[in-house]
Amino acid sequence: MKKLLAVTACPTGIAHTYMAAESLAKAAKEKDIEIKVETRGAVGVENGLTPQEIAEAHAIIIAADTDVDEARFAGKPVVRVPVAQGIKIPGELITRALNMQPSSSTAAAPTTPADSGVKQQNLFYKHLMNGVSNMLPLVIAGGLIIAFSFLFAFTKGGVDQVEGSLGAALSTIGGASMGLMVIVLSGFISFSIAGKPGLAPGLVGGVLAKDMGAGFIGGIIAGFIAGYVAHWLIKHIKMPRNFEGLKPILIVPVLSVLIIGLLMVYVIGEPIQWLLAQLTAWLTNMGAGNAILLGAILGAMMAFDMGGPFNKTAYTFAVGLLGASIFTPMAAVMAAGMTPPLGIWLATLIAKKRFTKEEREAGKVASILGLSFITEGAIPFGAADPIRIIPSFMVGSAVAGALSMMFGCGLHAPHGGVFVLFIPNAIDHLGYYVLSIAIGTVVTALMVLLLKRKAPVV
Amino acid sequence: MNIRELLQPESIFLPSSVSTREEAIQQLAEGMTAAGAVTDTADYVRAVLAREQQSSTGIGFGVAIPHGKAAGVARAVLGFARFQQPIDWDSLDGDPAQMAFMIGVPEANAGNEHLQILVALSRKLIHDEFRAELLQASSKEEILDILSRNIG
Repeated sequence: MKKLLAVTACPTGIAHTYMAAESLAKAAKEKDIEIKVETRGAVGVENGLTPQEIAEAHAIIIAADTDVDEARFAGKPVVRVPVAQGIKIPGELITRALNMQPSSSTAAAPTTPADSGVKQQNLFYKHLMNGVSNMLPLVIAGGLIIAFSFLFAFTKGGVDQVEGSLGAALSTIGGASMGLMVIVLSGFISFSIAGKPGLAPGLVGGVLAKDMGAGFIGGIIAGFIAGYVAHWLIKHIKMPRNFEGLKPILIVPVLSVLIIGLLMVYVIGEPIQWLLAQLTAWLTNMGAGNAILLGAILGAMMAFDMGGPFNKTAYTFAVGLLGASIFTPMAAVMAAGMTPPLGIWLATLIAKKRFTKEEREAGKVASILGLSFITEGAIPFGAADPIRIIPSFMVGSAVAGALSMMFGCGLHAPHGGVFVLFIPNAIDHLGYYVLSIAIGTVVTALMVLLLKRKAPVV
Repeated sequence: MNIRELLQPESIFLPSSVSTREEAIQQLAEGMTAAGAVTDTADYVRAVLAREQQSSTGIGFGVAIPHGKAAGVARAVLGFARFQQPIDWDSLDGDPAQMAFMIGVPEANAGNEHLQILVALSRKLIHDEFRAELLQASSKEEILDILSRNIG
């Protein structure tokens, strides 16, 4: 005989909670099924489920619009619906619960590892995607506007914007949009985890990550820490009844922002500063050595965190050498910075079915950003699936960087993307340079298709 | 506390001839005011309508349970209306409401005795026989009888 459990709850806790409970009990009686329904309403928790009952139950129906302390059901099959469904379709819910696969008989232990592992991963992915999807418009708008601004600069025959011109204004606007990228990524990851209270610490964590040059990986880390800090505070801070109102408007905001801020500055920030210094020293030491290896390393660094410490170090290193009239590392760095967005665009073209519609659209934009040497255009893809996509980018960029060095290509300007190709004498060995970028792009695309999950994850 | 302390004849409308959800809520609130339970009709109606905005209280089976908590409510109170023409209440199952129980709760909550009664009422409303009795009742006194018998 399968035993079912149910929990009902609604925000007001007066009517719906009890109607859903009665409805489920009635439907169970008609089906001759044993069910116990816990109600969490205005009069408190009634008919509470015991750990023993939870362990023995076949499945649990949760018909609720509020928190019902779901953690205690970890590892058990759960049918989760809004409270209204408990009133409306109790019979169907019972059938669904009965048809759930029972968990292992050791369910007395609160979790079965495999099950919760999958759930954890999906949850992680859900939070990450919430950040990425909110960030995407900023990348697209900012990237395209910056790319557009280049047109103005290059018609003047240079690579720098004339101060006070429309081009300079566009560059500022695009930069503002791009500048919000890491902040919004972090903010909305945190928002996804903790709801409204997560937004403030997430945004602040994002600003700090951006300012310290931690890039989008720093933003992801900040978002997750901020979200879980806020979530923990909401759950565990207990206030005397009279001061309960202060919790959401004063206590949680101040503490969550303070905690994420201190963590970012002292725990995340210090190592990043140290890392930047070490990387720069390391590159400087090996600079004169093996040119092809240097190209590959610079390339991989450009693609690894796309705007983070590794990327910045490689870029700054190459720009620094321009002053010494060494032009080859600059060329390698730009080639490597162009291939991630170009490669992802090519991948979306080759294998349309492997990407969601949104991703294919983002891929088109990425092509323009890639041509403009705006590596950040690839971030939405990298952030959505870092473990698989970032190594793909790194391989492609390493190839592009190594080839560029091997052919002895040189770049005399610190940025500009495809536009700089049209400036006379800005690039040494132009044909080989284009070839390096093209090969890097193809390698990136093939790597992405090789490593990416088969079906788009929605 | 029993049901007669919550529901007075003044806030029972049998039948009610209103034709919209808003009119029904207004009428029931005025009835509660007449019964002395509501001191600021407009304030209370605002609270009830705000709750409806969140999500309809039309729970299906031809029943709606509008409710609100407001400073303009002096004591916990219940209202009942059975509509001549069923009213569209944007309900869960799409069917119009044949009757409505409206609930008023003071801002500063005084105990939860009244809650127990509302809980019992909510549970009862799921059962067909109980609703059928309410639909057939022909006087205010009969409604009160049915409720006392089933809820206490």
